[in-house]
Amino acid sequence: MAIKRTTCPFCRNGCEAGVSFDGYQYQMEYLKDAKVNKGKLCPRGNSANLVIDHPKRLAYPLLDGNEIIWEQAIERAKSWLESVEPDEMAVAYSRGLSAQETGLLRGFARFLGTRNLVCGHIEPESCFNYRLAGTGNATLDNIKSAQTILLIGDVFTTSPVASGPMIEACYADRKSRLVVIDSIKTRQAGFANLFLQVKPGTEPFALMALVGLLDKSVSGIDVDRFTELAGLEPDQLRQAAKMLGPGTPGFVGSAMHLGRVRYPVLHSLSSQLVALKAHKPFVGFSEARLPEGLMGFGQFRQAVDEDRIKMVFWFGGLYPYSYPELFPEMAKVEHRVCTSIFRPENTLPGLVLPVPSELEKESIGYSYWGKIERHPLASPYSGTRSVSWIIGQLARIDEIPEELSKPMGMEDVLKMATRTAEIPKDKTDNWLLVGEKKAIGIGGFYDDEQEIFVNPVAAQKLNVTDENFLAVESPSSRNEFRVHVTSAVPDGVLSIGVNAHSNRALFPIETDKESGETAMPPVSVKVEKTTATARPAPEIKAMEF
Amino acid sequence: MAKRIILRLDYCIGCRACEAACRSRFKGEARIRYGEIAETVMVPLACRHCDEPLCVAACPFDVIQRDEKTGLVYQSSFLCVGCRSCVLACPFGVMDENLMRGISQKCNLCNDRAEGPRCVATCPTGALQFVEEAELTEKKVGVGFVVRSPGRRRP
Repeated sequence: MAIKRTTCPFCRNGCEAGVSFDGYQYQMEYLKDAKVNKGKLCPRGNSANLVIDHPKRLAYPLLDGNEIIWEQAIERAKSWLESVEPDEMAVAYSRGLSAQETGLLRGFARFLGTRNLVCGHIEPESCFNYRLAGTGNATLDNIKSAQTILLIGDVFTTSPVASGPMIEACYADRKSRLVVIDSIKTRQAGFANLFLQVKPGTEPFALMALVGLLDKSVSGIDVDRFTELAGLEPDQLRQAAKMLGPGTPGFVGSAMHLGRVRYPVLHSLSSQLVALKAHKPFVGFSEARLPEGLMGFGQFRQAVDEDRIKMVFWFGGLYPYSYPELFPEMAKVEHRVCTSIFRPENTLPGLVLPVPSELEKESIGYSYWGKIERHPLASPYSGTRSVSWIIGQLARIDEIPEELSKPMGMEDVLKMATRTAEIPKDKTDNWLLVGEKKAIGIGGFYDDEQEIFVNPVAAQKLNVTDENFLAVESPSSRNEFRVHVTSAVPDGVLSIGVNAHSNRALFPIETDKESGETAMPPVSVKVEKTTATARPAPEIKAMEF
Repeated sequence: MAKRIILRLDYCIGCRACEAACRSRFKGEARIRYGEIAETVMVPLACRHCDEPLCVAACPFDVIQRDEKTGLVYQSSFLCVGCRSCVLACPFGVMDENLMRGISQKCNLCNDRAEGPRCVATCPTGALQFVEEAELTEKKVGVGFVVRSPGRRRP
């Protein structure tokens, strides 16, 4: 049985995965000779074969939820194009596209004559695009030979396969030290030799204080104030600075999750600054890297709100609908053309065009560790058309290569941190809800996301136990969760999983005033004990995605 | 003794890749599950392939059998009638009903794959090992945990 090899597209670790086809079904193959992952795969990598022939794959273009043929779809898109002015169009792109395809989209926006080219991948991790001058990139050897590892945020759930060498490094000689900075006690924190639990969203302040301790010559860092803002003890940070001091090989890794990060740009830059001052290489763990658009997402939302956008093309993975809180806003746009791999659960007005998944495309990309090639594991799903074909029907264009923005300097980061620290904190009696990736995956892994983590002290205040349900109401949505009492979260903080879309909707999308980037920070919520006492019986479905 | 799936609890990060690998092979039915024991310890749970399996004893139609040579306890899902006797008999609670097909299902150590179980092949940190008893002592699996409270990754 022939095994087709490719590089897994679900995060940027660059794991090699194989798929075989026995004439009946696709099966994952674990390639022991793979350089990066040695055959290991995370839950999402394991689901690749399910994506290829999933029963929910979209095989026909949809117009207002009804199946139509491709000719009709292209004709409709063309007629919409003629009815709107170039300024009223927007081209957005998101995950699931190759570098060539985003290049084509840049060309497409230029052809249309619009400057409204928007990056729709608005997860905080997209801010790892901001680079700090002088910071080196970590290599696989850095991880294997690491003696001091600083992890900010939950790296283990972002790239589980990358955590393997880190744990090996910790256990091989038992000399390696792991420092974790996070706002909740994740499983990764359980491995830490030193765990610094900061107040939700204040990681950058802890990092800036750490910079001040690592390099005393940097002026303008008020270590005490930053330590206090992060809610840490000065001793804890001093101990971390001692462990991170130059001399020992190691690296700094950072990850950002939706609902947990308040200042994503500063989070990214301050992590890199710590790496620079500790003389260690840096790696920003993310699931995808997309080039910046010509227009910020915040500006795009404003333009939509002011009815300046009449038509939108959204390429890649149907991501506007991954953020249900955007739904009402997107409904304002008159004509919508988007691409999708799966049949959308809700009927979407406008055109939805089926495209091949990343597993059915040839492309070149970049992992944390270098250049990677992707080869198709299967032929494109029946009825799908590639993004380049769709654009080719609408325009004759060439790719435009990505332009990297200039790296930022240390002074910029210091100024940004100082300004951010001065933003007044709202004092409310409400509970703070944070997001957590409890288990990653496509393929029915959202089952335990109906749980909410509550501190034992908070549980007493709310008069709830593990049997009870809590109704959580945020400014954007409302949902009910089963209580899980645990000291993993501090008092006053509640934590939920953010893979499920209904949970994501609880976090309103905000624009960071400092950088103009979008952020989905921890949100202040109202909670109420409900009368429900038992979990509703699970609905039986074939192969949930 | 034949090879068995052994868990090095102090290496487990709870990513559930084992469950996903199993689910991916059996199209939605995971035969290894990621479970919580006593609310604090989180471990992957799979069939132990007992020496004297109660599921074999409980099965009224001899659908579940034990291979004396390899010690593998396997089941023919084709013959299963879904009486749930094995599910009730299993002392570890790892036999599960397939709600879709109305039959029970159990781990067969991926006997269709020469290299061993998929959950072991995929485990990102090497927490799951497929080893013989002799290797257990050699590799010191489960002897002298590195962390003070293995598995208690979060309170």
